[in-house]
Amino acid sequence: MISNTLMKQTIKSNIVLWVILTGIQAAMVALVAGAGTNLQQTALAYYNMLPGLISAIYVIITGNKLISQQVDKGTLAYVLSTPIKRSKAAMTQATFFVGSLFLMFGISAAAHIFSHYITVGSITFEEVKMILLLNLGLFVLNVALSGICFLASCVFNLSKYTIAVGGGIVGAFLILSIMSMFGESFHWMKNITLVTLFDINSVLSNSADFIWKFIVLAVVGIVTYTIGSAAFSKRDLPL
Amino acid sequence: MNEIIKIENLTKDFGQGRGIFDVNLSIKRGEVFGLVGINGSGKTTIMRHLMGFLHPDKGRSQIMDGDCWHHSAELKKYVGYIPGEISFPDVRTGVDFLKLQADYMGLRSMNDANELIESLNLDPTAKLKRMSKGMKQKTAIVNAFMCDSDILLLDEATTGLDPLMQKSFTEIIKKEKRKGKTIFMSSHMFDEMESTCDRVAFLKDGRIIHVVDMKTILGNEKSKEYKIEFNKESDYLAFLTKDFDITRQKDEYNQVTIRIPDTHSDRLFRVLSSMDVRFISHMPYTLEMCFKEVYNNANNTEVA
Repeated sequence: MISNTLMKQTIKSNIVLWVILTGIQAAMVALVAGAGTNLQQTALAYYNMLPGLISAIYVIITGNKLISQQVDKGTLAYVLSTPIKRSKAAMTQATFFVGSLFLMFGISAAAHIFSHYITVGSITFEEVKMILLLNLGLFVLNVALSGICFLASCVFNLSKYTIAVGGGIVGAFLILSIMSMFGESFHWMKNITLVTLFDINSVLSNSADFIWKFIVLAVVGIVTYTIGSAAFSKRDLPL
Repeated sequence: MNEIIKIENLTKDFGQGRGIFDVNLSIKRGEVFGLVGINGSGKTTIMRHLMGFLHPDKGRSQIMDGDCWHHSAELKKYVGYIPGEISFPDVRTGVDFLKLQADYMGLRSMNDANELIESLNLDPTAKLKRMSKGMKQKTAIVNAFMCDSDILLLDEATTGLDPLMQKSFTEIIKKEKRKGKTIFMSSHMFDEMESTCDRVAFLKDGRIIHVVDMKTILGNEKSKEYKIEFNKESDYLAFLTKDFDITRQKDEYNQVTIRIPDTHSDRLFRVLSSMDVRFISHMPYTLEMCFKEVYNNANNTEVA
């Protein structure tokens, strides 16, 4: 299904950015949680906008690096001159992308739980569950966003188009979601961005609304990754 | 399965007259086959089809009876490749790169690689980013040959190499040929092709305009060209009347170039025996001459 050699190589070339951004994100959530406010307030302060921006940087840059940049530069010729199928190469890159995001938010969740426990001195099962759900939400949101970038990366021969289209869409979703917080007249923008499906209020108020929204995000991810891999396997490559 | 690479009616139209059109080639096992043509004539496009990177608009290409597009991954077990553009993956040194590729190919022993490194006089411990074009090219050559693949696709493999290294490369090709490898190479270095290839195809505007068998040129041609210079003008003028097939003449040097079938050589010598000849030299028919002739003819027919 995936190529171990390519996986090792992909990890090596993407780990630096991942470590930096995962570190910043974990430190940020730990700091916000360390302020000692209750979980609801922390969640609203932190989960509303900050992590989306940091992981978006990771998603846009890495998405481009995984396929498009290697086609653009021609380095993929060396991978595809070995008996590795294109679909296997795409699958390996996709696995890395999703896996690295999972770990990123796993670490964030751990940092949040740890910081909350240290500051407050105790933590309830409900609170742990909430923190895990919030990070799961961020994870599925980023699966969807990374899927869009991955799809762009699979389709375009040139990095600049991948960044423009993949990064443009992801950036637009984030900006729309932030703009919609700026008052009533901008509120409609909420309806046209995927970020809205990461429904913090539903998680915090213990309603079940977030479940279908998270599922939709996951489906967007699965569909974009699948189409991307298929497109990459079938198209002409200038290598 | 003597026919190891087969290209049938291969067409890829990139628009504006660019691409390749109705290319047909058949390359036998153990053959060294060359592809020449000016920049943009479609050499790399053909290579990319054989590597399964491009999907043909029409026609098909096969390696060992396997379709190059549908079976591209399996075929790579038997194919070594040097891409036209060298751009290495994100690893530090040449050694790291070669190890990575060996890992992909499931190659255990680096003996072949070390031997190649030695014969190319390459320092593979150098950082890839600091490497000169020639060094990068050598690294790519080592990569293509180290797996002992049966078939080698070499897209302008000697660009950036100094003349000495081009010699070493030619030696490598000859050695692989002796081992029975099939080699398909594109180049615009005529001398390199002359000394290695069995057959050479000329590509022009995406079409094969001629396939030349190297046995018929380079002094093997049945009808040869000689350049003759005379000491005396009287001899020169007398010679011109002797009804030889004159291809060029330079009156100021008393010099003439003639083409004569081998079977008539004795007649030439009989005529010359009574004349004061300064020198006579054989002008071998080179690949380059052949190429220019065919290319220009192709141009003329287009105009007509």
